[in-house]
Amino acid sequence: MECIVNTIDETYKIGELLGSLVKSGDIICLIGDLGTGKTHLTKGIAKGLAIEDHITSPTFTIVNEYTGRLKLNHFDVYRVNDPDEIEAIGFDEYIFSDGVSIIEWANYIKELIPPNNLTITIEKNLEISDNYRKIKMEYTDKRYDYIKEIKL
Amino acid sequence: MKILSLDTATQAATCAILDDDKVLGEITFNYKKQHSQILMPMIDDLFKNTQMSIGDIDAFVASKGPGSFTGLRIGMATVKGLSQGSKKPFVTVSTLDSLAYNLAYTSGIICPILDALRDNVYTALYNFDNNDFNQTLDYVNISIDELIKILKDKDCNITFVGDGVPKFKEKLIANLPNISFAPAHLNLAKASSLGELGLKLLTSGVKDDIYAAIPIYLRKPQAEREYEEKMRQKENE
Repeated sequence: MECIVNTIDETYKIGELLGSLVKSGDIICLIGDLGTGKTHLTKGIAKGLAIEDHITSPTFTIVNEYTGRLKLNHFDVYRVNDPDEIEAIGFDEYIFSDGVSIIEWANYIKELIPPNNLTITIEKNLEISDNYRKIKMEYTDKRYDYIKEIKL
Repeated sequence: MKILSLDTATQAATCAILDDDKVLGEITFNYKKQHSQILMPMIDDLFKNTQMSIGDIDAFVASKGPGSFTGLRIGMATVKGLSQGSKKPFVTVSTLDSLAYNLAYTSGIICPILDALRDNVYTALYNFDNNDFNQTLDYVNISIDELIKILKDKDCNITFVGDGVPKFKEKLIANLPNISFAPAHLNLAKASSLGELGLKLLTSGVKDDIYAAIPIYLRKPQAEREYEEKMRQKENE
């Protein structure tokens, strides 16, 4: 599924809709260049999960944990040099837990990502406009069929 | 000798006080992983209800794993802190040993299995030969299929124990003859069991060094994981 957004608020809104639909054990991979809105989308997802805490990027902490309708594990593996490092913090225990896991820059640790994930790719197109984003959602596991309900 | 023993390597958060051959008290919760929040209050309760304080304890026992990475660190850090603060020794024992010891004097092979995720288990093999407790396979992190392969040729009863049982029970029944499973009240890590094994080590003069003791995480070597990933990609092509 693909959607086009033209403002940060719309990215946030997509996240919020997604957050209201996600289920226990979901694994969401976020892929996109710096400044495409990965963290904004995550903030929306957190809002949709009824998480009140202020969401910050876990670039330095690697993972932040929040509790709302479900537990949210928010990873940012941008600074991870080697998948071994992330595995050593107990990555599997997080992603195979009852919570929802969001992994920014998941493409850096491909070998650790299980196949039953939802991959969201965000792309800019500066020729169209500064804030234009194409948000692509891909999955193979039927558990993510709820994505079809998302409409701006 | 009075010891305080604790184990947070699995879902069970458990602590016990043993006085030589007697278990004076034990508290165990086998509900969600909330170890960092409940462990200290549990220890405090144990002391209150046995009218003791930390000063009465002669040594500590901690689980060295394998198990949950976070859980292992909580348990090990707690025991190291208590040991350093009270200037009393500590020793570490594997949770796999203590699970097998839950089933003391069971005939045949005792096989503890802990869920290591991605269809893997942390496991080892044990038996009781007369009254001797023997380990016959070192701690390993292997796939459930590999474990079945190892056990297939064994010509005796095999009893499984540990948190991997609910997940793999059907598969084990389908692939192995003559197997049994630990009853629910023994199918969890117990600090009393870990403590008893620790006490034996302590009385024979064994203790761990606070700076050298580290948990056994038993991660699969990276080369192996990369190979699995390659195989997975090939399958998808």
